[in-house]
Amino acid sequence: MKKASKVFTALMFLFLFAPLVILLVFSFNEARSLSVFSGFSLKWYKELFRDTETLKAVRNTLILAVCAAGVSTVMGTAAAVGIHRMRSKYLRSALDMVTNIPMINPDIITGISMMLMFVFASRLLGLANSLSFITLLIAHITFCLPYVILQVLPRLRQMDKALPEAAMDLGCTPWGAFWKVELPEIMPAIVTGMIMAFTLSLDDFVISYFTTGTGFQTLPIRIYNMTKKTVTPDMYALATIIFFVILALLLLSNLTDSEDSQKLRAARKAKRAASGRPPMDPKKRRILYGCGGSLALAALAAAVVFAVTETDNKPQVLNVYNWGEYISDGSEGSMDVIKEFAAWYEQEYGRPVQVNYETFASNEDMYAKLSKNAISYDVIIPSDYMIARMIDEDMLLPLDFDNIPNYQYIDDDFHGLYYDPEDRYSVPYAYGIVGVIYNANVVDEADTGSWDLMWNEKYAGQVLQFNNSRDAFGTAMYRAGIDVNTTDRSRWDQALESLMEQRRSGVVRSYVMDEVYNMMESGEGAIAAYYAGDYFTMLDAQADNVDLRFYYPERTNFYIDAMCIPTCCQNKEVAEIFINYMLSQEPAIANAEYTYYASPNRLVYENEDYIDEMGPEAMDILYPDWGDFSEKYNTYAYRNLDSDLLGYINSLWETLKIN
Amino acid sequence: MDKIIELKNITKSFDGEVVLDNISLDIYDNEFITLLGPSGCGKTTTLRLIGGFETPDSGDVLFMGERINDVPPHKRNVNTVFQRYALFPHLNVYENVAFPLRERKTPRDEIDQRVSEMLSMVALKGFEHRAVTSLSGGQQQRVAIARALVGKPRVLLLDEPLAALDLKLRKDMQQELKNIQKATGITFVFVTHDQEEALSMSDTIVVMSEGRIQQIGSSQDVYNEPKNAFVADFIGESNIVDGVMLRDRCVSFSGHTFQCVDGGFEPNEPVDVVVRPEDVDIVAEDKGMLRGVVTSVTFMGVHYEVIVDIGGFKWMIQTTDFVDVDEHIGLYIEPDAIHIMKKSEYSGLYGDYASFSNEFDELAEAESEGEQ
Repeated sequence: MKKASKVFTALMFLFLFAPLVILLVFSFNEARSLSVFSGFSLKWYKELFRDTETLKAVRNTLILAVCAAGVSTVMGTAAAVGIHRMRSKYLRSALDMVTNIPMINPDIITGISMMLMFVFASRLLGLANSLSFITLLIAHITFCLPYVILQVLPRLRQMDKALPEAAMDLGCTPWGAFWKVELPEIMPAIVTGMIMAFTLSLDDFVISYFTTGTGFQTLPIRIYNMTKKTVTPDMYALATIIFFVILALLLLSNLTDSEDSQKLRAARKAKRAASGRPPMDPKKRRILYGCGGSLALAALAAAVVFAVTETDNKPQVLNVYNWGEYISDGSEGSMDVIKEFAAWYEQEYGRPVQVNYETFASNEDMYAKLSKNAISYDVIIPSDYMIARMIDEDMLLPLDFDNIPNYQYIDDDFHGLYYDPEDRYSVPYAYGIVGVIYNANVVDEADTGSWDLMWNEKYAGQVLQFNNSRDAFGTAMYRAGIDVNTTDRSRWDQALESLMEQRRSGVVRSYVMDEVYNMMESGEGAIAAYYAGDYFTMLDAQADNVDLRFYYPERTNFYIDAMCIPTCCQNKEVAEIFINYMLSQEPAIANAEYTYYASPNRLVYENEDYIDEMGPEAMDILYPDWGDFSEKYNTYAYRNLDSDLLGYINSLWETLKIN
Repeated sequence: MDKIIELKNITKSFDGEVVLDNISLDIYDNEFITLLGPSGCGKTTTLRLIGGFETPDSGDVLFMGERINDVPPHKRNVNTVFQRYALFPHLNVYENVAFPLRERKTPRDEIDQRVSEMLSMVALKGFEHRAVTSLSGGQQQRVAIARALVGKPRVLLLDEPLAALDLKLRKDMQQELKNIQKATGITFVFVTHDQEEALSMSDTIVVMSEGRIQQIGSSQDVYNEPKNAFVADFIGESNIVDGVMLRDRCVSFSGHTFQCVDGGFEPNEPVDVVVRPEDVDIVAEDKGMLRGVVTSVTFMGVHYEVIVDIGGFKWMIQTTDFVDVDEHIGLYIEPDAIHIMKKSEYSGLYGDYASFSNEFDELAEAESEGEQ
């Protein structure tokens, strides 16, 4: 029994701390991969401090946490004191309960309801941008408040009620009694409450996601939005740093609270008394405290002013909304496109521009944010089918191509595509083609070349299939030559049968999304369908005994992401300047090299340096000879399906996953 | 002597419950006055009215002739020693005592001098830098007194300050408080439910019950000349029996007519008769004015406590003579040991020792302390 409980305890600690240890170890990994530790390196820490967007998110998060903790501590303490002083018992217990509700309320509900309230309120007030730093701050204060109250109230109840009376009796005003006697008494609880509020605010994602506005992205949101590609290892470094900072805070607060330190303090005092020095004059101490307090307040105020001016709409502000990891950001010696644009703009037009660059994780996320009309962006970069939908719903502005002369460099293949047949709303940014990646050490070259490889029973337990319905069905439909946009349900049933067969035969190892990187890199899986650009990411990190190769099957999926201006745009002129800049040679090449996705821009794919940099193999894969690209694209690209059909497909998908 | 505080027709109720029912009280300069009564009698509320923590529903509080009903506590020249001391835990002994002086922006040298004066008065020199939480109950008590006196108030209010101390310490502190009061000449208003404490310390005792003042007088007055059965019973032990005042200085009770020293009643007026247990002498049965049977004897150290059944009414007698249970004895009472009181609402409620036992008394006391 004793032994069992020891083992149990050991296991518990293992589960609690193993993830942290792994995080810590891999933050020092030389390679990008999570499967191989190729050597100790501080590379990712260096990367982290070069990643201006992430650092900005860290700064934002800290500003927010400091403001939210500060304000909620003051308000929460005041509220606790107010509740404590209430004479009516019923009112008191009712208020107690009401303050507890936000605490037990699921974050998602708090987030959505706050967003609705902000949007509604701003409609009433006639404001254009309903969500901003201020709304985010209000939301954070709201969910932090109950925790502060919960800390302070019990401490007040423990306090001898006669203490404030004694203070008044001895000449204090009621206000003075509060400051000089009550406040010092409840201070430990206030500090604990503040630390709690700070950490809560620091790691909130759900509520922030719903209530933040343009130009203010917090760290959790930024990390979430990176999931289009893998989370880069500099995030491990960041998480490690955050963990140790929080650990240090915790130790510090425990130390100041523990009896040991009280003894220590008592001893120090006794020593001072023995040495004949008088105790510190309270006046002096008050001045000291006052200085400290006003410094803290000043810092807080500065942070607020800083944050507000940051989000305040100065004359030239550009809000860009893009996929995570989808622009060259200065890491690993690359060009920081956003920064360069700002510098270039200021030089060119003689006035500064402030670019708020934010990221999203899926087209649907982006659509949801925009359709609430809660925030305004000037440039967005959605995918093709989403562009079609947004044009349909009048959510995009026609572009003035006179302001985008660099549009001339876009390849003719990218004109008149289905999502924007008249080329009025979009400028292609990058495109990708799905191919099959395989490990040549496992797979026989003769078996490659078509979708059949993913159904080949020779490779039982080696195939990684997409873990989302559209892409998984796609593989089966391309294989069978079915139109991936068909509205004929029997064709979808047919595709399901094919997927069932694939599953039953045991070739599928698992259904994956981002895990595909690590599984392929480590050789855990040998066959997977994914985007050409991502193949190169895997290639970089493959383990020694793995030899990844890539080919395109006869029919496959294409997608195009294009730059658009949404109707909520506040500054179309600068937005078009930005789009034009993105098409110019230097940033366009930097982006293509950074993302590994193919560029529709002739300035890129015809550029010698770019071709050299990528190498002939990559050029072949990224820019294969497709013959009539637009025809193939229009045939094979996914289009928006109506919701009934999507529902039907999802039900088929569930059937597959359950069986 | 000058009146320093006057309470005039004060009524106060909490949540519809009357706590003070039209009380009036004068407090004179330089006196040690005690508010005495069982818990819930309104004595603490009276103290809080003087301190400024409560305002009367009707009536006036006067300080040196000036109405101070609406003057907040910090503007009254009155300080309080709280029941559980209410020392400030985040300040050391020195800072606790210095607190009122700092509030008044007293110069540093003067603070130093007065704090050390106060601490030597309460015998706590050398404790300046100790944390108040590290002190014993008695030491904390002294700090509280020093803190309340350092500002030289005209009046010091003490709310059952000794209740939390053990018996020995309590006796010492009673003496010390009395000495401090004499030395400083400050008016002390002392609240207690302990009648012995009240008798030994006070110049004036105010006996309260159910929100009303029952009697005001010196210790001897309230003991020897209680106004009604409540006062007689609450202060010391009393045998209270129904009697009839036949004429001046002649009263009949328990089937016997006694000589007494009181007069001024209607002929044949029904009255309450008080006889203190220590004033009754035990004599042979045939020589006694009253005759009875001993039902219990308890040895108390200095004397025996004897319960005697006289015609169904149980008397308590304190005597140094030993008698046995079931012994038939006679009782002899001197005329000046008999105190006559007018009938009151308390008549018949007290003074019979039929249900008396020491245990019961202790239980009741513990209960009333618990309520505090």
